[in-house]
Amino acid sequence: MSYQQFVFSQSIIFMASSMIFPFYILLLRNVGDSYSQFGWAYGLFTLTAAVTYPLIGKVSDQIGDWSLLLFYSWSMAIILLFFPLVMEVWQVYILQVIMGILGAVQKNTEKTALARNVEKKAAGAEIGRYHFWTSVGAAASIILTGYLVDFLTIHIIFYIASLMYMWSGIILWKKKKSINKEK
Amino acid sequence: MKKLIVFLLIYVLVFGSSVYLSQLSHSRPVVEDAGRLLPAAVKRIEPADGKESLKKIVTKAKETNDKLTIAGMQHSQGGHTYYPDAVMIDMKPYNKIIAFDPNKKKITVQSGATWDDIQRHVNPYGLAVKVMQSQNIFTIGGSLSVNVHGRDIRNDSLIDTVESFRLLTPDGEIINVSRQENEDLFPYVIGGYGLFGVILDVTLHLTDDELYKKKTSTMDYNKYSAYFEKEVKENPDVKMHLARISVAPETFLREMYVTDYVHADNQQDLLKYNTLKEDSFVAIPKFFLGLSRYSDWGKNIFWDVQKKYMERDKGAFETRNNVMRSDTDFMDYESGGRTEVLQEYFVPVDEFSSYIDGLRDMLEKEDDFNLLNITIRYVEKSDSDQAVLSYAKEDMFALVLLINQGRSELEIKKNAAVVQNMIDVTLEHNGSYYLPYFPYPTKEQLKEAYPLVNTFFEKKEAYDPNKRFTNYFYEEYGR
Repeated sequence: MSYQQFVFSQSIIFMASSMIFPFYILLLRNVGDSYSQFGWAYGLFTLTAAVTYPLIGKVSDQIGDWSLLLFYSWSMAIILLFFPLVMEVWQVYILQVIMGILGAVQKNTEKTALARNVEKKAAGAEIGRYHFWTSVGAAASIILTGYLVDFLTIHIIFYIASLMYMWSGIILWKKKKSINKEK
Repeated sequence: MKKLIVFLLIYVLVFGSSVYLSQLSHSRPVVEDAGRLLPAAVKRIEPADGKESLKKIVTKAKETNDKLTIAGMQHSQGGHTYYPDAVMIDMKPYNKIIAFDPNKKKITVQSGATWDDIQRHVNPYGLAVKVMQSQNIFTIGGSLSVNVHGRDIRNDSLIDTVESFRLLTPDGEIINVSRQENEDLFPYVIGGYGLFGVILDVTLHLTDDELYKKKTSTMDYNKYSAYFEKEVKENPDVKMHLARISVAPETFLREMYVTDYVHADNQQDLLKYNTLKEDSFVAIPKFFLGLSRYSDWGKNIFWDVQKKYMERDKGAFETRNNVMRSDTDFMDYESGGRTEVLQEYFVPVDEFSSYIDGLRDMLEKEDDFNLLNITIRYVEKSDSDQAVLSYAKEDMFALVLLINQGRSELEIKKNAAVVQNMIDVTLEHNGSYYLPYFPYPTKEQLKEAYPLVNTFFEKKEAYDPNKRFTNYFYEEYGR
């Protein structure tokens, strides 16, 4: 199994998500009224994630990590297209609930994929390398995004991030096909 | 492969619609006024480049059946300058001084000019404005539309100092309005909240710039009316007046200090003092005001500091022009979730003490209500040509309240209850309230405070039957 491609697609996902999360708060600021609303937005996100983790774990055992990662990437690609349209706080809440579910899919599946694919003996080194590359990608994108938001509008980052998720989905999709063929 | 293509197609479709919709919502700029409680997406903002382009804006709106609103500095706080989906005319660029006759003490300015523009122009000639707000940041058109008053106690409200103006009507015509020409419109357009057309240029009467000596004193609130009648009103040398009443818990609505601006004996020294003052260093008052926002303890300190500062200022000389350009910068307040709003209540001079007692009884029960400051001015009853929506039904004290509040719906609701109670107390004392603020008051309260309000709206409908000019005030109360 080509581990590099997995890391590559995960790096893109990481870059995309770290593009959004620090700056997403700016959008909330434009829409929201108070700190308690920030609290609710993030609370809902975490709470839905918590509730869905057990289910996602079972599903990933049944249908496989790749399918779930693909589902995650493409769902994110679509959901991000709704962010620039947000006008009201309740819309943020709904998006946060969906993002909570998708975030849980990503976190759980990333770990199960690693657990299933990494050689146990060298697990430390492998996972270290994995985190190195994904984090480098994330750091670069946070810094670049700052400039993007300065020069363009906050909305543009949602479109760019959406395209990145789309791309990582295509990589995963190709990969899945090759796995199927191998089988 | 098919699945991928189908998915890609859906994705492209959603992507395209998202971009399209977000462009659409962005082509409608969101505006809000100084109250920051009523953001609204307007159709577009049209800058007022000149008479002809203004005329074009109105005729075009007639063709496309668009609504129009008129904005100056947007310090009205109830959406008086804009409305969702209406075209907002930005009058600020329309700010030239057209004519100035120092001998006749008259000036004609385009309505987007500010008081500051006028002060800079007339100060070298030893002239000054007769009636304006205590601050000079507002446009003339906006000030006319809300018929302002200020520290001056010898002239009535702004309407008394206006000779004439030109009005761009809802039909796109330009007409002269004065006490002789189209005189029926005069008391409607002034204090008319932009509902009768665009005020183009205005001719105002000026007065001499004078040197005043500040006389200050501290007193109990129940001595104030008598003090004012005897020491201020009956003393022709007092030209301007300003008072403050404490909002600090220790002296809440009891302790006051007053500043009288007395015609100085040494008028020959005017030239020593008549350099127009510019924005000063505001960090210190800003800091104390900041403290008072957050705690009762801060409010006590702020009041003490204000009092000390006032006492130190005793006997200082200031020119008329400089009295009417006080600092506003220290009041700038930036917060995502909160804002600061104004209320203004008018109450007859002889009702003052009992009114304050009533207000105190009511406000002491409101723990969450964050009242930061109250200033008091005096406005004389307009005898001759009152604006139809006139607040000066008799000789009144005007109390301006600065309130810190949240911007959420819940906070607005909570504040509405308190404000409505305060207005009830005001009305019980034969008072009135000022209209340029957030639409907290009920329709009934409006009717009681402004008995002629129905006449006003009827005239509006007769004069502008297509309701070309509108705003939140009209939509909220006029229908």
